[in-house]
Amino acid sequence: MIDFTRRNVLGVAAGTMASAISVAQFAEPAAADDTADLDLFVKLSSALTGIDALLLAPSRDPLQIKQVYFKQARSDPAFESLMQIVRANPADAAGNIMNNKDPKIKFLGRSIILVWYLGAWYQPSALAQTPSPASGLPFKVISPTAYTQAWAWRVAQAHPMGYSELRFGYWSDDPLPVDDFVKAKGA
Amino acid sequence: MEAFIGLYPARRKSLSHRHRPAESTFRFSSAIKPLDLLPSLNRFFLRILRVWARITAVQPIAPQNAASIGVPSVGKSTLMRNASKLAITAAGAAVACMLSWQAHAQAPVPDAAAVDNPPVANCNTTRDTAQDPGDPSKRIATPIDSNLLTLGQPCQQSVSPNGLAADGLLNMQRGFDFYSWLTFIALNSPADGKVIGQGPRPGGDAVTKWEALSNYRPLAAVMLEKGAKPTWGTRIVTELCRPLDGPDKIVLQLGEAAWNQPFKTGPLIDQNGNYALFDILMNKPMFDFVVTNGLYSKQGQERFDGDISFPLGVNPAGSEPGRMGAVMLKVSWHILDPDKDKVIIRQFHTADALIYFPGPPATKTGPACVAKTLGLIGFHIGHKTKFAPQWVWSSFEHVRNAPNEKQVAARDLHPPYTFYNAACPRCTSNNTPPSPWDPPASLKFHSSDKTQVVRSTILPDAVAKEVDDLNRSFRNLLKGTVWENYMLITTQWPSNNESKTDCNGVPMPMFLANTTLETYSQGRVPLASSSCMACHGNATTRHVPAVASDFTFILEKAQCENDVCGPPAINKSVANVKRCGLVNPAE
Repeated sequence: MIDFTRRNVLGVAAGTMASAISVAQFAEPAAADDTADLDLFVKLSSALTGIDALLLAPSRDPLQIKQVYFKQARSDPAFESLMQIVRANPADAAGNIMNNKDPKIKFLGRSIILVWYLGAWYQPSALAQTPSPASGLPFKVISPTAYTQAWAWRVAQAHPMGYSELRFGYWSDDPLPVDDFVKAKGA
Repeated sequence: MEAFIGLYPARRKSLSHRHRPAESTFRFSSAIKPLDLLPSLNRFFLRILRVWARITAVQPIAPQNAASIGVPSVGKSTLMRNASKLAITAAGAAVACMLSWQAHAQAPVPDAAAVDNPPVANCNTTRDTAQDPGDPSKRIATPIDSNLLTLGQPCQQSVSPNGLAADGLLNMQRGFDFYSWLTFIALNSPADGKVIGQGPRPGGDAVTKWEALSNYRPLAAVMLEKGAKPTWGTRIVTELCRPLDGPDKIVLQLGEAAWNQPFKTGPLIDQNGNYALFDILMNKPMFDFVVTNGLYSKQGQERFDGDISFPLGVNPAGSEPGRMGAVMLKVSWHILDPDKDKVIIRQFHTADALIYFPGPPATKTGPACVAKTLGLIGFHIGHKTKFAPQWVWSSFEHVRNAPNEKQVAARDLHPPYTFYNAACPRCTSNNTPPSPWDPPASLKFHSSDKTQVVRSTILPDAVAKEVDDLNRSFRNLLKGTVWENYMLITTQWPSNNESKTDCNGVPMPMFLANTTLETYSQGRVPLASSSCMACHGNATTRHVPAVASDFTFILEKAQCENDVCGPPAINKSVANVKRCGLVNPAE
């Protein structure tokens, strides 16, 4: 079980903030294959997280967090194997990955879910440990932007500590409906 | 008892505000003489009403509407007492109905939005690209030539995801940056109507449009002492400053915001040891909204029960005229010595200024007044427009302010810089000077410390390159004038202006900082680093409990009426209008 105590999250975030990689904005993929894979990665992420792809990767996307997470996931040795599953059958890819016999692929899928929800990268090998270490699983908050854009805050109809995108006075009002956070316009 | 019944139309509700009390179409005021207000035909009907009032001994009341006069079943008093007065009452009802019709037909309720935001004859709608005549599916760059110098100010951005690049977002960014340059040129054109760069001073410099009180008003001349009502166009020169006054001098009244950077991160000290100074100004639509709604005092803000939503700039469309909307500026100056700086002074837009220190509590020093020659070093523009209700934020600065990180790393330096000592490569950069910070009347910093400024890399590479290309073209267009020495940093705009969960509209780019105005908060950490929209999205009014003030900190500068601030209005609803991020407006 992952220890999501506030102290742990903030402690690791402070330590990794100095070495946080910058958000790759407008980092165009080098090759056409990368563009196609990025698109598939977003669709897979949508299936894994339950968040609409248009929200994970808007058509106008100043934050480009998808690029950051794509780059992070691609650094894993099992990523290419995972993408082969996605390319072969995009419609069933989420299930095929989450139930895959190969633990490297199965837990990489879980790492991808967690990076979108928490803005932090958990190594698949760490997630695969049974039982989880009592001290909690190690993780790396990818960047300050990833921290503020983590979907856990939005699904909770809340916001990260010290960072809110809502208008002054929102705390005296009911939380916005969860659909406002997780459903794309027109969906 | 007879009452002069005065009739005047109450203001109609508009998108920009609600007026209290809102139920009456008409209000009755004994202070107003109807003969002054109504056409002669109405005088006849009023005589009828007076006679009727005497007969029925009606006490002065405030009916819900004019047509209720003489209608027995309406109003607080029972008006009819016997049948002999029936005919007179019926006549009174007819009169009242006609008056009501007349009031609607002949004295139309002024549209507050139109009064605050009048039509503009020459909105500049030039786009950064045009259709390729050889291939209609493609776009080509709009020539950056002298035509652009006379087309006026854009009332609204004209942008599209279709452009020169494959990336739609980058194309829109270029469109906004192009709009920023057109706005900069229009605002800095001479106030006497000449073309930019053709003024009488060295380098074609001149008093600019934004320095003319007929076009823009400084914050200190709006948020007056004791919450007094400001008057547009008037020039305020205190007694201390009068001996130093002269033609075309601007008045810069100091408060903390005039020398302390945002988040109270400290003053900016140039290489001569002088304080950099800042000023905030607003255009007439923005000023009119403040005054019309009484927002120039703390108590006025407490009384206002509407939506603080400044008017929008909009391009002409069909039969609808263009309107400029609210524009606010924040400018930064550094002090020039006309003798010692006579070589470099030609590279700056300059202004002769009266710098007024009001004394405590606004400034520790003073009251005092000094005269200085100022050189423009930074220029923020905030413009509220259609499709950008979170405003559009443009920032320019002087090219000689400081080098950027890459230049410093490569030792590719081109001194002299106003805020960087090339001979001190080990000097810590972007470091707040030591306290105390309050400026003395000399505006010289108390120690030998000077701010060593380096421009941080905060823009995406593609945006930085696009801005560089535009700057090269526009600066070339302005070559030979003082204005060739100014560059656009970039433009921040809402990439999703309808977002319900990001009330800042998902700013693009994420961060924007001017080396002279946000020296110490350059960076890429959300909320800690400078972002126009993320910061201004938290702006509120002065009173407590405060309400969001539509992306401007101007309203928090309001003073208390007669210096009596009073207790917090704790029973006032925090927000009673639909607003981004709010589900249930408070009752």
